[in-house]
Amino acid sequence: MRNIKNNWLVQVIGFVLVLIMTGLTAQGLSRIMPPYYLQIGFFIGINVIMALGLNLIAGATGQLSLGHSAFMSIGAYASAIATVTLHLPFPVGILLGGLAACLFGIVIGFPTLRLSGDYLAIATLGFAEIVRVIFTNMQITGGAIGFLGIKNLTTFPVIMILTVAMIAVMMWLENSRNGRAMLAVREDEIAAESVGVNITWYKIQAFAIGSFCAGVGGALFAHTTTFIQPTDFGFMKSIEFLNMVVLGGLGSIPGTIIGSVVLTTAPEFLRFMANYRMLVYGLLLIIMMIFRPHGLLGGFNFRQAISRALFLGRRIRQGAKV
Amino acid sequence: MNILELQNVTISFGGLTAVDKLDIQVKSGEILSLIGPNGAGKSTVFNLITGLYKPSDGAILFQSEALTGSPPYRIAKKGITRTFQSIRLFSELSVLHNVLIGTHVLGQAGLFHSIIRSPLMHSEEKELREKAMAALDFLGLADKEHEKAKNLSYGEQRRLEIARALVSNPKILLLDEPAAGMNPFEKTVLMDIIRKIRDTGVTIFLVEHDMTLVMGISERIVVLDYGKKIAEGSPVKIRQNDSVIEAYLGSGQFRSRIRRKETGAC
Repeated sequence: MRNIKNNWLVQVIGFVLVLIMTGLTAQGLSRIMPPYYLQIGFFIGINVIMALGLNLIAGATGQLSLGHSAFMSIGAYASAIATVTLHLPFPVGILLGGLAACLFGIVIGFPTLRLSGDYLAIATLGFAEIVRVIFTNMQITGGAIGFLGIKNLTTFPVIMILTVAMIAVMMWLENSRNGRAMLAVREDEIAAESVGVNITWYKIQAFAIGSFCAGVGGALFAHTTTFIQPTDFGFMKSIEFLNMVVLGGLGSIPGTIIGSVVLTTAPEFLRFMANYRMLVYGLLLIIMMIFRPHGLLGGFNFRQAISRALFLGRRIRQGAKV
Repeated sequence: MNILELQNVTISFGGLTAVDKLDIQVKSGEILSLIGPNGAGKSTVFNLITGLYKPSDGAILFQSEALTGSPPYRIAKKGITRTFQSIRLFSELSVLHNVLIGTHVLGQAGLFHSIIRSPLMHSEEKELREKAMAALDFLGLADKEHEKAKNLSYGEQRRLEIARALVSNPKILLLDEPAAGMNPFEKTVLMDIIRKIRDTGVTIFLVEHDMTLVMGISERIVVLDYGKKIAEGSPVKIRQNDSVIEAYLGSGQFRSRIRRKETGAC
């Protein structure tokens, strides 16, 4: 049994089966769900992908980036150009969007990742503004008018499959030599270097993967809304993703997913309050930060909690007082 | 055979020369201590060896190979690991994770293997985990593996730092004041541990203030004062060395520097 469980091929087939099941379930749901709820489902998927990317950069590796929406816009425009201008198929468009954002992530990463903390935040903020201004003035992107004529190619199964795949990859990465090196960079750079971790390399790796996620998210976003303009990807958008990660708990993957779901649906739930809803949204964030400053699931370790519960059960059986 | 050699190493910060034309030879397999009054430049020597500071002048050779100018992570890869005077653990991570990060240089699996979770990565991960558990066992921390590093007691944190530095099979281990803040019992345990580590073939280079520990385990001692080497030799010789006594206790003469009078015995 153990051999079967540890066999790589079996795991790969299992994972593919999970993805197929996800796709089929999403297909079924998209038939029965009202369009309004389906649309919210689309954005939950996109935001989870985006926030997971930022969680790797800001949560796991500890590099505060305020330019996440810039990578999203690069992915969105690159994929839109690929499918509309170059008539390439949609999957190629998604891949190109991700790769374009990844490339910019690396190019921007090299000079800026030598900075730390507030300085890095300012540098990424500046980068995001530059990207926005360039897109506003470029011919091929439609300038300030926006990019028109993108086909609605995103389907619910595509989004859900990509979301599940992204969650899986992030969880695998977290429990690997690479992921641990990233955590080490966040915890203490000098100690990390003293045990042989090349901190610049891991920061750039985190930036590249995080930007790739943002690019994929941007590609899905462009082909969901069918119309993109530079103002869609402003500073507030970056802050929104940061909110999701911080609300859920910096560095926690389940937390990031919950944070994205809550913050994507909250404005919809609060819609009955009309103009006051953003006020309540802000209030929720403040209350949240007062009562759980480390986020909903910050510092909460699922595996440890489970093993603790088991351990406690054993001790109680042995007659120990709790 | 010298495993580590400092030749004429000098570093100055602005106008202050923290380490001045220092020559130290660390012999393979020995326990060498570096002592000196506060501010003598002991920790600076460690920071120079591990690449955190670049020497203004001179060379540092590790197994006859120049280290000068290599970044810290590459020096660690060559087999020089260290602990810190002010404990630097990955405090939010578990004890096991701290040590697993210590195995970083032993692993090969890169990003690709991590993402596809390949068989190579699986077998490597298993091996590293066994190594990490063995190191925790060695330092008596095996039952704390799931505890967060910041929740350990002070002595345990010091031991965890040693485990993290030791797990990558270094050739030389630099311990920066390992006994600081330990009670007498913990110090005896630590002395035992240091001897045991040396017996596995790891050279130990130690900075320490605690004279019981230094005199108890060192085979050779180098004394530093104001960045200069003032004495070198066996513990017995160092105890009787006049300039060492003067550096620690003052000479009793008016000509001695006031600061030295105030330093007192360590």
